[in-house]
Parts: sequence; structure tokens; C-alpha cells
Amino acid sequence: MILARVDGVIVSTVCHPSMRGSRTIICQPLDERGREEGPPLLAIDPFGAGEHQRVVLSTDGGATRAFVHDPKSPLRNMVIAVANDGDAAGQP
Amino acid sequence: MRLGYVIGKVTLSQQDPSYTGGRFLLVQPLSKEQFKGAPMTPLAKGNSLVVYDNLGAGPGTLVGFTEGSEAAMPFEQPTPVDAYNASLVDRVLYHPSV
Repeated sequence: MILARVDGVIVSTVCHPSMRGSRTIICQPLDERGREEGPPLLAIDPFGAGEHQRVVLSTDGGATRAFVHDPKSPLRNMVIAVANDGDAAGQP
Repeated sequence: MRLGYVIGKVTLSQQDPSYTGGRFLLVQPLSKEQFKGAPMTPLAKGNSLVVYDNLGAGPGTLVGFTEGSEAAMPFEQPTPVDAYNASLVDRVLYHPSV
């Protein structure tokens, strides 16, 4: 699981059927001090997390396939929790 | 999943039958600056990779691709694929906090 900050969304009309109906967000992984760590990732977001909110991503493909009800889905990253810190800047 | 820019195609003369219906693309993952809107050329640093595609992407397309064992999940039988194009990206809305 990865702590990340929501930095944007992507819009896609032609995509794998398992992505239809899900929001795909751009997440910036953060380290333990809230600093950016590595390049941004894409993840599906069932919660509708707000911009710059901190979220926890699961990188378990099996959990994501179960969530989208498609055993053939290629998806992997999914938001499983939104941090309850109310800090829009993503600072710890 | 990562975002990448399609910089070319790979044409095969022989292939595993399970690849039928798709193509292989050369994809360069985006740099942070390119997420913010920097031009795609010069290309971002880092390795490009070959991505299986059956959505119809071509050079110049922005794609969202998955890597690892999940890339082989959409295939009927076990297939040696470790990067799969899951979406053609129309628009990127990216606002990193400063």
C-alpha cells in the first residue's frame, strides 16, 4: 500500500471495459515526511477523493479485479482509503 | 498504471498466437514536467518499453498502461506480456500542489 496525494485526473473514452464508470486519478506517491517520491501513478478511485487530498493506494491486482467485478481486468492500483487529516496541502 | 507517450510500433514476423488482434507499441513513460504540460519532445529520460495494445493506439497517442502480472489478465490463456495498454488518454488534468 502506498501513501499518495491526488494531483489530477485523466479523461479516457477508449479504455478497457473494466475501467468504465470508474474515475482514474493521478497520484503522487509521498514518503513518511510528505515529500514527493518517484513519478506520478494512475489509480482508480471509487471514493471521489478531492484534489490534493492524501489517499492510500492498494497495488493488489486481485482486490481491484474483485472491485470492478472483472476477473480479466488489467487494473492494479486502487484508492482504498482517504486520509482524515483535512490538510489540502498534503502535509503530515 | 502509468502514463506514457507512444513513440513507435514494433512489427513482428512471427508471434505467439495469443497476441492476435493486437500490436506492440514503443512507449516512453511521461516525466513529471510532461504531466504539467511540457512538450513530448525531447523525450523524457528513462527507459522506453514495449506495450501490448488492442485499443488502436499509434505513434503520438497518450496511453495509460499497466505493468506486471496484471498485464496478462485480459488474455484467454497464459500469455507472456508484462505491459498492457488499458486506456487511450484524451485529456490530462494535472495540478500538483506547490
